[in-house]
Order: sequence, then structure tokens, then C-alpha cells
Amino acid sequence: MLLDIEIVRYFQHQPVLRSHRPTYWRQGHADADTGGGSVPKYRGRSPQSGASFCHDEYRERTIMENELGSVVDALPGLVWTALPDGDIDFINQRWCEYTGLSVEQAYGRGWCASIHPGDLPGLLQLWQSMLASHEPREMEVRLRRFDGAYRWFRIRASPLTDVSGRVVKWCGLNTDIEDRRNADEVLHAQERRFGLIVDGLPTLVLGMTPGGEIVHANRNFLEYFGVTLQEVQSRGKFYCDHPDDFLRVTTAWSKALETGQPYDVEGRRRRFDGVYRWFHTRAFALRDTEGRIVFWYSLSSDIDDQKRAEALLAGEKRLLEMVASGHPMSRILDTLCQLVESTSSGCYCRFVLVDAAGTRFAHEAAPSLPASFISSIRGRLVNLDSDPCARAVYLNQQIVAADLTSETRWPEWCLVAVAHGLRSCWSTPISSTAGKVLGAFSIFCEEPRTPTSLDQKLIEQVKHIASVAIERTQCDAALKRSEAFLAETRQLSLTGGFFKRMATGEITWSAEVYRIFGFGPTVPVTHELIRSRVHPEDIPAFEEILEREQQGSDYEYEYRLLMPDRSIKYLHVVAHATKDRDGQLEYIAAVQDVTQRRLSEEALSKVRSELARVARVSSLGALTASIAHEVNQPLSGIITNASTCLRMLAAEPPNIDGARETARRTIRDGNRASDVITRLRALFSNKDATTEAMDLNEISSEVIALSVSELQRSRAILRQDFADDLPLVIADRVQIQQVILNLLLNASDAMSSVDDRPRHMVIKTERDENDHVRLSVQDAGVGFKSQDADRLFEAFYTTKSGGMGIGLSVSRSIIESHQGRLWASPNKGPGATFFFAIPCRRDLVVGTHSPSPVWAPGVTDAQRAMRNP
Amino acid sequence: MIVARSRVAVVDDDESVRESLPDLLREFGFAVAAFSSAEEFLASDYVGQTDCLILDISMPGMTGPDLQRELTIRRHEIPIVFITARRDETVRPLLLEQGAVDCLFKPFSDTALLKALNNVLRVS
Repeated sequence: MLLDIEIVRYFQHQPVLRSHRPTYWRQGHADADTGGGSVPKYRGRSPQSGASFCHDEYRERTIMENELGSVVDALPGLVWTALPDGDIDFINQRWCEYTGLSVEQAYGRGWCASIHPGDLPGLLQLWQSMLASHEPREMEVRLRRFDGAYRWFRIRASPLTDVSGRVVKWCGLNTDIEDRRNADEVLHAQERRFGLIVDGLPTLVLGMTPGGEIVHANRNFLEYFGVTLQEVQSRGKFYCDHPDDFLRVTTAWSKALETGQPYDVEGRRRRFDGVYRWFHTRAFALRDTEGRIVFWYSLSSDIDDQKRAEALLAGEKRLLEMVASGHPMSRILDTLCQLVESTSSGCYCRFVLVDAAGTRFAHEAAPSLPASFISSIRGRLVNLDSDPCARAVYLNQQIVAADLTSETRWPEWCLVAVAHGLRSCWSTPISSTAGKVLGAFSIFCEEPRTPTSLDQKLIEQVKHIASVAIERTQCDAALKRSEAFLAETRQLSLTGGFFKRMATGEITWSAEVYRIFGFGPTVPVTHELIRSRVHPEDIPAFEEILEREQQGSDYEYEYRLLMPDRSIKYLHVVAHATKDRDGQLEYIAAVQDVTQRRLSEEALSKVRSELARVARVSSLGALTASIAHEVNQPLSGIITNASTCLRMLAAEPPNIDGARETARRTIRDGNRASDVITRLRALFSNKDATTEAMDLNEISSEVIALSVSELQRSRAILRQDFADDLPLVIADRVQIQQVILNLLLNASDAMSSVDDRPRHMVIKTERDENDHVRLSVQDAGVGFKSQDADRLFEAFYTTKSGGMGIGLSVSRSIIESHQGRLWASPNKGPGATFFFAIPCRRDLVVGTHSPSPVWAPGVTDAQRAMRNP
Repeated sequence: MIVARSRVAVVDDDESVRESLPDLLREFGFAVAAFSSAEEFLASDYVGQTDCLILDISMPGMTGPDLQRELTIRRHEIPIVFITARRDETVRPLLLEQGAVDCLFKPFSDTALLKALNNVLRVS
């Protein structure tokens, strides 16, 4: 380009050429200068043929022209000149070489053949206008090369004027710009592509000068705000930011401009339709190699959905925290309303909750709606016709009232709503996870609206949060009640718990265990601490349990604590082994202070022996006949023998042998009587029997309760099978209990040597024929032979080494004194069953006991296992 | 006045009674046979040849009164003196009412027994 200018200047400043019109530069025709026949090196024609120059002048000129011709040919372009009328009168060698056209072909308008047909009309038009206006102009056109290929050239032409300003010649230079143009094309294509990309970016893009003036805005930017670039430029980039954000974002921008640091803010920006959306805007400075800012560009991303989701998420988290920390339901729902109201402007929320039956409203939350609109709904019936909320709950479906002014379903309610500036209402039922309708959530808007898909999404989320919050609050309340109940129960039952992690030896006690052990709740729990309280006699058992814990099996045991005040506590521990997530062994255990129970048991044991004694004493009345019989038999023998003896001695002659025999028998019977007395000494007292109406089941249960520890000791397992329609009997309570006790202890004793089968016992009551009530005790013991069935009830008949053999005899006496029967029969399997039947009162029937078999409490396999590890 | 060699049967499940009582009765001059149960007596020859029956009330199996009823049924009118170790005064009138000559409670004296037997033999 510079070269073009220089050439123009050259021509303009050549006084010769200006003063003397260059009428002849080089004859294009073959002449002497170039040698005939040779291809003319310089092509030109004189506009004025037949010039008359003097020789010297001619020579001088010829020299000059030769020099000039060399320069023109050396120029890196195609050079030409034209006459003022536009006809070409000169072309340089390069032109000819490039186009492959001869000078003759190019002259006049011949050169047009070298122009691309598509460019020619435009070029000719420009050329005409130039010729008319005498203005220097340029144009880019495609020139055909000699081989037919086209290359882009820039054609520049300037007029050459004489002193009077008249155009005498047009000088032209065609420069090959094909390569540059290709490069430009690439550049332009890149620019276009870049522009498209920027326009297509889903962000708002601005380009700015280092001073912050807007020079570019992408299509999204203009479309979002609904403005033109010029409008943005005139109004400034912040004119549609939210007033609440304005100060913050402008301050940040000023700071960025000042420091060159990136600008990074979040704020609400008003869309063309007036809706504000959240944007995250970042601006960066572009710097040149010396670090100077040359350009700012800013990117704004729409984060409204994200913001909304974040707000909801944060809200959800806050709400769940509120639920977890036990906030009241009303506050939780208020917060949820406010959360929704904060995410979409111009809307108000309301919750209504129904009672457990689902028929009446129990709660309401509407923190932003006026009280005059929300009259208390509590206690009102759920129905179709009062308002959209009730209808949504009633039908369990979403109710949309898009325009309350044209709504006909709830005319009265709509009047009030419209009077409060509300125009639409959407009510959505809230259900529990089990599908039960808990209540409804309503959104009121100040404009007539139907929920968009975005609104529905929000409603779904709120519904979910509300359902979780309500359910959890309700569960929490129930759990709290249950926990309080459990705590109270634990305290009442003196039961605590501990947790033990075997890998670390870490032990955690509940408050009650601290209370039981008498330690402060902050004392760290260690085995040493526990051992310091364990009764010295129970230390070995305690150590054994610690060892057993290592094996990871469940256990149950009792031990005693020796408290600092020398009092003794009895503890019952049941421990269950589990594995944690890492497979580490853990124990969770219940610890119960059973001191009171133990003391009660001891007291009961005393009562039981007292009862047994009393029973024996009382039963003596019934026993008297038996005793008399037992004593009178030998006495009778003694007296008879003695009489006989006397008579034998008095005879003549005295029967000495007979007398001796009878005397010997007398001594024998005397000893027999003495034995009876010795054995009965323990029962040597009497007391009047008293009778009353009573329930055999009830008194049996009392006896079982008294016998449990005795049965446990002998490892007997007792099953109760009580008839539930048993009539009352008239009997001496203590005596009958003595019989039952006797039968139970006998049954238990009969099984003491049994080790190859369970020591099962069944105590059964039932109606017997002839208005009798029957009780039986079945055992799985050694049994008896049927021929011994009668002897069983004889006094002093016993199969037990330590027994006195009086129990069954006394028992039979007692039962007979009640007009009843006592008998026994061998079982089909092992053991025997003892029965008694006594008459009942026909007018008294009670039924307090379960007919189904119940294993006696306290006699469990676990306890058996505990006793026999 | 004593009729010599009257035959007396003793039925009692108690062995000492069966040992001692026949000896005493023999001292008195009776011919005596002892039986351990009512069934044993019924099966013996004595049923038709006994002048007096000394009978225990309570025995395993057939009791004294059972035997009394059985003898009545069989029309063996044997005078019976009941003996019992169970002192139940209410039993005595019942037994006398049913035809027993006497009822002695163990232990009884030899004179009481002799008196009862005299009554029997006087009646017969």
C-alpha cells in the first residue's frame, strides 16, 4: 500500500511529466529501440502520434523513459495507465506476463477480458464514476491469470492532473492480495464464528473498554433485557439490576475497574418482562503484553433456578433442623410458608392440617396472610364447599382456582379473598408416606394465574418437605412421649442399660446405671470402677463373665454390689452381643436392680415356711384320726398282749413260754407306737379349720408363686393349664394350699434324679363330674407301680430317703375332710399324675384365668442355662 | 356261764392284732382262727361255722361293714363285734343299729372284750 502511494507521489512530483505531458513512453510497437522482431519489452502507445521532438530532447527523454520503464517493470504489481476517457494506453510487463494477454489485446477495453465476469460490472461502474468524479478509488476484483486461474487483486487508480487540474492520465496499480485476502477470509470466518458463538452462549456477554464503556453485547444480552446495543450504551450496564443489589454490584464494578481485579457478583437482573432473575456475573480484564488493560469482558449466567433450588435446599435443611430440634409444628410450617414466599414474589402461603381422624382441621399456618382473611379453621369439618383448601383435603387432589373473580365454587369465600387483593389460589393436598392425607398447602397470588410447570415443581418440593416435617414432628412427639414413658418406666423398674465396645473396652452407662452403682454421671466407666462395687464373694463370677464376653455370646447373670454404706444390691444383667458396621463386637445390656425383688423373695420364702408350718398345724385336725389309728394299732396290740401275758402267768401251771412271747410282742408294739410319736412330734399342735368360698385357680396361682424358687432350684418347668369357668369351692384355704404345695413338691422331688428329659410339670384345673372341681399335678419323674397306688397314701410310706412319708397321708386326710378324693395314676409315659377332686358350690362360678397354657414366669430356659452354663 | 370251745374268727389287716388277739381268746377258751382280710374270711370254711366274728372296720379292699352286708346277703347270721383304731363315736350307734353286737375301740381291755363276747354268746 505504501508502495502505491509512493508511485502516485512519484508521478505527481515529476515536473517533467507534469509540465510535459508524457505523450510517449515506450512504443509498444516493434521499433528500433528494442530491435526488430523481438518481443516488445515495454508496451505503450503515444496518444499523440507523430510527435516532433528535437533529437537531444528525444534522447534525453528516451533515457529517462528507459529508466522509468525499468522502475515500472520492477514494481511488485501490475502497472497501467489510461487516458482520461478511460482507455488503457499502457501496461507493464508484469501485467502481460500475469494475464497472458498481449498489449494489443489489453488496449482500449480489451483488458476487461482479464476481469472475473462476476466482478466486471461493478468494476466498470466504479471506473465510470471515477472517470466522472476524478476521484482516486480502489476495488478488489479477481484477475484471470494466464493459466485461467483467478487471483484477487486490489486495483487502485489515481488521476494525474496538469497544473490547471485537468486529468491528463489515470495511473493504476493492481496488487496481488490473494494470499492476504485468503488470510482475511479465514480471519473473517473466525470472527463470524466467534460472533456466533458469543451470541449463542447461554450467558449475557458484554465487551467493554478499559474505562468500562460498552462496545459489544451479545444477542442473549440484548434479548434478555429487550434493548439495543445503543440503548445499553446510553443507559449503562446496571440500569436493570435489582434496586436492592444496585449499590453492591456498582461498588464491586468500580473496584474492579480501579484495581483490574476480576469482578464476581451475584444479583437479580430485570428481564424485559419485568421479572427479576438471579445472575452470577463475572468480568475479566484482557491485558496486552505490557500488562495494560485493553479490554473488559463480562459474562452473566442465569442462576435463578440454582438459587431457587439452593434456597429450597437451605430451607429444607433449616426445616429439618427445626424438626430435629423439636420446634413446634406451627413454627415449622410458618417457616416453610416464608421460604416459599421468598422464592417467588407476589405469593402468599397457607397450610392447614387435619386431625388424626382426617375429618376436622387441627392446625393452620399462614404467617403472611392477614388475620381478617384467615379466620381460624381449627375444629372445622373437612368438606367440599367451604374453600379450596378443604376441597383439596376432601378430594385428595390439587384444586386450582385460577381467577377468583370468576370462580363460582366458593362465592362467599372468593368475595373475601378478592377483597384482600388475592386473585388466584392453588391448593394441594399433603400426604404421609403411607398415603394418608395430612392437610393441604395453598398458594395465593395477587394476579390471576395457573401454576406453571416450575410452580408445580416447587409445590411438589414443598409438599414433600411439609410431609416429612409434619410426619417427623408427629413421630417425634410420639417418640418423646414414648421416651418419657420409657425413662419413667426404667426409673420405676430400676432398669438401666449399658453399651460396651469390646475392641476399645469403652463402656457407656445410662443414667439409671450410674444411679444404681452410686457414681456421679461424669465418672469414666472402667472395669476397675465396676469391680470396686462388686461384692467380694461375687468377684470370681464377675471375672468369669468378663472372660465370656470375649467369646461374643449372649449372657444373663446376677451379682451383688456391696455399696459404701455396707448395703447390698442385687443386679440382674441381660446382655446381647452384636457386631457394628466394621464387624467389631459390641454388647448392649439391660441392668436391673432386683434388690427389692430379692428381699421380697426372701420374705416370701419365710412366709412360705410359715405357711407350711401353719398348714401342718392346721392339718393336724384332719390328721388326728390318722395319728390315732397309727398309735392305737400298736397300743391295742400292747394291751392285748399284756392281758394275755397276765393270764398265761396266772394259769396253773403258768404258761411261761407263751407269756414270754406275748411280753416280747408287747415291747415290739411299744416301740412301734413310740416311733409314730417321734415322727409326729413336729405336727404336735392344733388349730381350728376355717372354710370360705374360693377360686381354685387363684389359690393355685398363689401356691405356684410361692413355689417358683423351689421349682427353679430343682430345675422343674411348670406349665399352667387352668380352666376358665371353674366354680368356686368351699374349703379351708390354707389346708388346700398345703395339699397343692405338697403335690407340687412331690412332683418336683419325683423328678430330682431325672436328667435325660426335660423336667416338665403340668398343673391343671378342670370341672369334674358330680359337681366336683378337679386339680391334677402331672410330673415326668420316677413314677410308681400300680400295685403301690394305695400304699402311697399311707402315713410314713415314702420312696424318698429324706422324707417322712407323711405328706400324701396328710393330704388325703385333708381332702377327705373336704368330702373329696385324692388319688394317683401312673402316666402312659414317664412319671405320675396326682389328682384331687372336691365338691364345688354350684351357684358360684368365676372365670379369671386364661384357658391357654402359660409357662410359669421365671422358669425359663435362659435361666436354666444360666444356672447350668 | 361259758360254753366251751365256741369258735371265734378274727378279721383284721393289722398283724399285731392277728397275733395277739387269738392268743388272748384262746386263754379265754375259744377256738380261734385269724384272717387278714374280709375276702380271705369269705373264702374259708369258717363262714358257716363261726359263733362270733371279731371284725376290723377299716381295711384295704372290703371293709368290715362291707363284710357285714355281704354276710347278711348270704344269710349267715354271725354275731359281730367290730373293732377299730379310729375313735369315731358316731360310728358305733350306726353299727349297732345294723345288727352289730358291740363295737370296741382299740386299744380295749380284756374285760371289755370278754364282756362283749359274753353278750354275743348270751344272745346266741
